[in-house]
Amino acid sequence: MNPVLVLGGGPAGLSAAAELAALGAPVLLVEKAEYLGGNPKRWHYSLLAPDLTPAEEVMGPLLRRVEDTDLIERRLRSTVTRAEPRDRGFRVELSGPESSGWREVSSVILATGFDHFDSRRKYEYGYGRYPALIDFKEFEGMIHDDRLTRPSDGALPKRIAWLLCVGSRDVQVGNPWCCRMGCAVSIKQAVEVRQKHPEIDAYVYYMDIRTYGLWEDLYWKSMNQYGVKFVRGRIGQITQAEGGKRLVATGEDTLLSRPTEVPFDMIVLASGMEPGTGTKDAAQIFGLHVGPEGFLTPKLSDLNPVDSGRPGIFLAGAATGPKAIPDSVTEGMGAALRAYKYARD
Amino acid sequence: MSVVAHLPRRAPAVSVAAEALPPELELTGRRAMSPEDRRTAATIFQEFRADPRHHEFVLGCLNCGECTTGCPAARFYDFSPREMLQIAAVGDATTLWDGMQEKIWACCQCYTCNMRCRFGNDIAGIISVMRELSVRHGLESTRKVLAPFNRSLTLLMTVGTQVASDMIQPDFFKDWGPFAAAGEKAWAADAELLRRAIPIDVLQTTTSSWEVSVQTSLELFRIYEETGVLDMLRGLDPDLTEMLIDIIDERREEFEEARGRYRAEIEKMRGPVATFTG
Repeated sequence: MNPVLVLGGGPAGLSAAAELAALGAPVLLVEKAEYLGGNPKRWHYSLLAPDLTPAEEVMGPLLRRVEDTDLIERRLRSTVTRAEPRDRGFRVELSGPESSGWREVSSVILATGFDHFDSRRKYEYGYGRYPALIDFKEFEGMIHDDRLTRPSDGALPKRIAWLLCVGSRDVQVGNPWCCRMGCAVSIKQAVEVRQKHPEIDAYVYYMDIRTYGLWEDLYWKSMNQYGVKFVRGRIGQITQAEGGKRLVATGEDTLLSRPTEVPFDMIVLASGMEPGTGTKDAAQIFGLHVGPEGFLTPKLSDLNPVDSGRPGIFLAGAATGPKAIPDSVTEGMGAALRAYKYARD
Repeated sequence: MSVVAHLPRRAPAVSVAAEALPPELELTGRRAMSPEDRRTAATIFQEFRADPRHHEFVLGCLNCGECTTGCPAARFYDFSPREMLQIAAVGDATTLWDGMQEKIWACCQCYTCNMRCRFGNDIAGIISVMRELSVRHGLESTRKVLAPFNRSLTLLMTVGTQVASDMIQPDFFKDWGPFAAAGEKAWAADAELLRRAIPIDVLQTTTSSWEVSVQTSLELFRIYEETGVLDMLRGLDPDLTEMLIDIIDERREEFEEARGRYRAEIEKMRGPVATFTG
């Protein structure tokens, strides 16, 4: 059997590759970064919502399953540049430091994932200009390493705010969808901060809290166990104060119908999820349909969410829309099964 | 085609009992309102919801409050663009009536709320629709709020503008504009003080910008007449309206006279010219 091409080495791709190997199928795992693990690895995710499991405890075993087998040929810093359908399977052109050139593959799983929204595009917040304004993907690394220092002077912050829905649910930046993760991850970060430093005040500015399903527990717990405070309303603009030492968040407390202006030592922006550049490229190379949001669209999203609609091409993870790690892992498994069946028949 | 011209004009005020209103316009919580006010409020509500702009400007609201954050009026008054959009989107006749009293006039129509709105609502636009209705129906509060602005209104109606381009003179605003950084730093440091020393006449007197040609002025007024703007104003301030009509009548005579003279001159020189239809 020719190997199954798995494009993308994040949670969904790793899960698909590991599952295929478990079925005894050879896998060609192609990842454009120089490491496996996708966004969780890239940004040093700390604890994962909602159960506060360390990211390593989830990604570690997944990586080991991929690395501890000869059935998976791993190609890092590599991309697929061209693809041609064969009678069965595909011929794909690889480009990378270790091997370039055409390879025969039996089927394809696209697990090309997402990119975090670039918060500079919401210029009124000042991300990129104010050192005390932090994107929550960077904040993950900060709490992971317990480097909770105010960038301006290295002091421990006294008051931190989280601003949800930055680059999500916003037609001004062309992203009207919900990122699904921002609420839970921000609340999780606030909890993590309060666990480590109970003296820090944590405020979350929100317009809706979407800790859906059983994740709601995290939201409640954040208040009744960790004392995280929630303000219903958005910070609409941020300015620097005390010579850039602190930030002043201007917003409206919509429940009190009053404008608010609150100084913070640090403000964390919950930047949304956008289709990754790899996802856009893959759509073009494999001639797949993308939805109005730019994500790949399964042919029957209810009945078969991992089927692209083109024979032999399967989809998994955040390539088809914002997704949590457990969902990506599950889809990786589903796509592996479908791809295996296609390759074997 | 002007939307203004096709909206129903103000109906004569007749007292109608609240019971006679259709159920969806029944006013609640406003027992103290006079029957006239109740009737006007119901009519306004009906017109407001039927206005094609309502469907275009009001799309939906996540109540995030970013509009209010950027709103200069919200800093100084009990005013919130988010609240105004809520009134426009889900408010009943009474709520709309309340919102259309002094509140709509706090807005400075800078459109920052529109720029901030992540839903793409035209908040400043829907506020201007409310203003239009409040003028059309001659609300007492509107009359009071607008009374001090008669001078501006007179200029707008007769000349078309009340701000002249030479009112803001570069000499007194050296720290503004694209060349602000070029060697005016010393001046900018004391700008606040220096600006206070500008003689008030310099700021308010203009030499050329308000000199609009008579023909332009008449064409403008014709537009106000034809689109119903003048009728709208009459409901609010009949005296001012009569005064404006007097001013314009005089100009019309002046214009006719000038045209006659001009024609005679030309005919003397070159024979008959093509008839001007103004």
